[in-house]
Amino acid sequence: MSTDAPDPLLTSLLAAVDAAPDDVPLRLHVAELLLARGRGAEALQHCSRALTAAPGDPPARGLLRRGTAALAAPQSPQSRPPAVPPAAPAAGGTERPPARPDFDWRQAEEDVADVPQLEPAFVEEAGDPVVEDVLHAAPTVRLADVGGMEQVKQRLELSFLGPMRNPEMAKAFGKGLAGGLLLYGPPGCGKTFLARAVAGELGAGFSEVGISDVLDMWMGRSERNLAEIFRVARRKAPHVLFLDEIDALGQKRSHLTHSAGLRNVVNQLLTEMDSLSGKNDGVFVLGATNHPWDIDSALRRPGRFDRMLLVLPPDEPAREAILRHNLHKRPIEGIDLGKLVKATDGYSGADLAHLCDTAAERALADSVRTGRVRPLTTKDVLTAAREVQPSTGPWFATARNVALFGNSDGSYDELAAYLKKNRKL
Amino acid sequence: MSEEAGGREHAHLDEVGEAARRAEHLRAVGRLDDAERVARAGLTADPDDPRLLGALSAVLLNAQRHEEGLAAADAAVAALPDGERGHRLRALHLSMLGRHEEAVQAGYRCVTLLPEEPAAATGYARTLQRAGRLGDALRVAQRVVELAPDAADSHLLLADIASDMPDPRSRAVARRAYEQTLRLDPENAAARHDLAVLDAVGHRPARALRGLIEAGRMDPAEPTTIRTVAAVLWQLSWRLRIWLLVATIGQIAAAQTVTGSRIAAAVVLAASAGLGLLTLRDLPRQALPVVRGAIRTDRALTATYLALAYCVLVYVLILVSGFGFMAVTVWVVLIGLGWLALIIRIFRRRR
Ligand SMILES: Nc1ncnc2c1ncn2[C@@H]1O[C@H](COP(=O)(O)OP(=O)(O)O)[C@@H](O)[C@H]1O
Ligand SMILES: [Mg+2]
Repeated sequence: MSTDAPDPLLTSLLAAVDAAPDDVPLRLHVAELLLARGRGAEALQHCSRALTAAPGDPPARGLLRRGTAALAAPQSPQSRPPAVPPAAPAAGGTERPPARPDFDWRQAEEDVADVPQLEPAFVEEAGDPVVEDVLHAAPTVRLADVGGMEQVKQRLELSFLGPMRNPEMAKAFGKGLAGGLLLYGPPGCGKTFLARAVAGELGAGFSEVGISDVLDMWMGRSERNLAEIFRVARRKAPHVLFLDEIDALGQKRSHLTHSAGLRNVVNQLLTEMDSLSGKNDGVFVLGATNHPWDIDSALRRPGRFDRMLLVLPPDEPAREAILRHNLHKRPIEGIDLGKLVKATDGYSGADLAHLCDTAAERALADSVRTGRVRPLTTKDVLTAAREVQPSTGPWFATARNVALFGNSDGSYDELAAYLKKNRKL
Repeated sequence: MSEEAGGREHAHLDEVGEAARRAEHLRAVGRLDDAERVARAGLTADPDDPRLLGALSAVLLNAQRHEEGLAAADAAVAALPDGERGHRLRALHLSMLGRHEEAVQAGYRCVTLLPEEPAAATGYARTLQRAGRLGDALRVAQRVVELAPDAADSHLLLADIASDMPDPRSRAVARRAYEQTLRLDPENAAARHDLAVLDAVGHRPARALRGLIEAGRMDPAEPTTIRTVAAVLWQLSWRLRIWLLVATIGQIAAAQTVTGSRIAAAVVLAASAGLGLLTLRDLPRQALPVVRGAIRTDRALTATYLALAYCVLVYVLILVSGFGFMAVTVWVVLIGLGWLALIIRIFRRRR
């Protein structure tokens, strides 16, 4: 469909939008239609208007993202003038196409690219033209990709990565691969990410059981499945079995009075872990949860998950790695990572990703409004940080209660020490 | 209907049932967002399935989103007019929305549909309780206990309703029912907590504290426990104030001579220590950090206990110096605390 073909529905809707400029859902509906008809630039303009009226509105942001993706994809908007072949973009470097019914994202980026005062992407890397290879999205993550968190990495190394690498030596020291370690901490702070990095280190020596597997277990075939998982792990020993979101699998049985099926799963997990600890047969269980206090206490007895490891909000090096990862593929200018790292203490990894998204949307909205690429700056991220509060607050409020009431056996000493240090206890 | 179509129909039903069960399981382990997502996804395939609608409504009940939950329950009732669960969920959402008359009606519908079902009667009892009809609620709760005498929840329901009633006989009923709950389910944190509240109401703060610490151990993530501890500490602070008020009268009466002052101060301090030990004698070791944490959560409570500590310090100073008239400052502090309590009460009531 061409842009100037008459479209009564769209025309009447556009009139309606003009009549009610602050009606966000209506505007988004129009934007959606425009996008579907290949009029991406106009759609984006409506999106940014909607975002000005309702900042942070999720549907608007979603549409904005889709709109940008459509624009960024070379051939998707059908109305792109065929005269500019995507294969030869460099030719358009100096001369501008006279009329642009559509906002040409790539073209705009190129336009800005040769503006001389553009600063290097990261301040401290002045002179280094390549930032791409700092953290490329490789298919598998390795521990080296996990920024900071040295203590956590060390504990992982000691409790099973070392023994996995030198099983004979570990046995000689009476430290065979056995038992379990429970990662816990506020949501979005890298527990799953860390475990995946461990998987990257171990390759075939690692398998993961996630929440959806657990759900399948519940649907009747449950106990057999759990037994099956452990049997396979034993056969592949030495092996690390990762049970993510283990509160869904090992919930306190007293909470499950109405579900015999769920209680059975917990019992089965207890049995499986016991059989591991006795035989020392080279299977290590790594668990992760946001709420270790909801786990059946029997699961935390010796031989089961008897060690717990607190995964806190990312420290400075970790925040730097996360911010870098989230920014490096976007049009940025003069980003002062050090400043951002300082301003984002207490933010989770997921929060940081969200900050970067918000900042990018703002810069994009500006770009769309003016028709020129305005790269993302330090200020955009700082502004976003002022608007978006760290999501870890509620978790720490609960954790404080846990440190007060639930630490008689010292299992939450690490947490209590952290809270005390941060004057939260 | 052809055989093939029948098979497809069957597979579809299975899928919907599975989605409903998934949602229920997720709800059981507290993953409300995931549960809602699964239920809604199932509903796009079959918008009128009463099990899915019920699952969604139950999730929204846990999430305290009662307007949406009521809509889902209404739809469930429309899809299956004689299904008890839809009516029960309707009753509970209506009740939480403060629409008590309709809620009680819906609750009554549940027990007429399934007169022998404890869950139906439990829903009815809850709607009656929230509507303020405690006598009726208590009778229904007794019926729940008859229907399911071995379920801890039945006794907890009875206890909860009885403890809302002001007369001492009901309070005794409540206490017994809480104790029975804990016999059936020793890790029932809610029963332990509420029993401690009864202790506090019965002016036994030390026992209440002990119970609260136990409840906290059972379910450390429950946020109300620390608030109840703070309430008990308020109660204790009033006792301390009255004691200090009385002690100060004696102290000032004996303030004529240096030795008299010293002896009076020594007596007050010794008696304070004795009373303190007597009250707090068999608190567990964990009590100290809990008490400290609770005092810190509440600014006014922090100020109060600092002031009371100052009063004790004044007595120590009198003991050392023999200057008995210093006790007047204790009165000043106590009067100040009285004003503070008054202001806070007005302020908090307004909220
Ligand atoms: N130390 C870190 N280094 C790099 N990225 C991190 C780090 N910590 C967290 N992240 C990022 O934060 C995101 C959320 O972490 P995730 O593992 O899903 O949290 P959790 O499992 O603790 O809820 C991850 O996708 C990851 O990209
Ligand atoms: Mg995770």
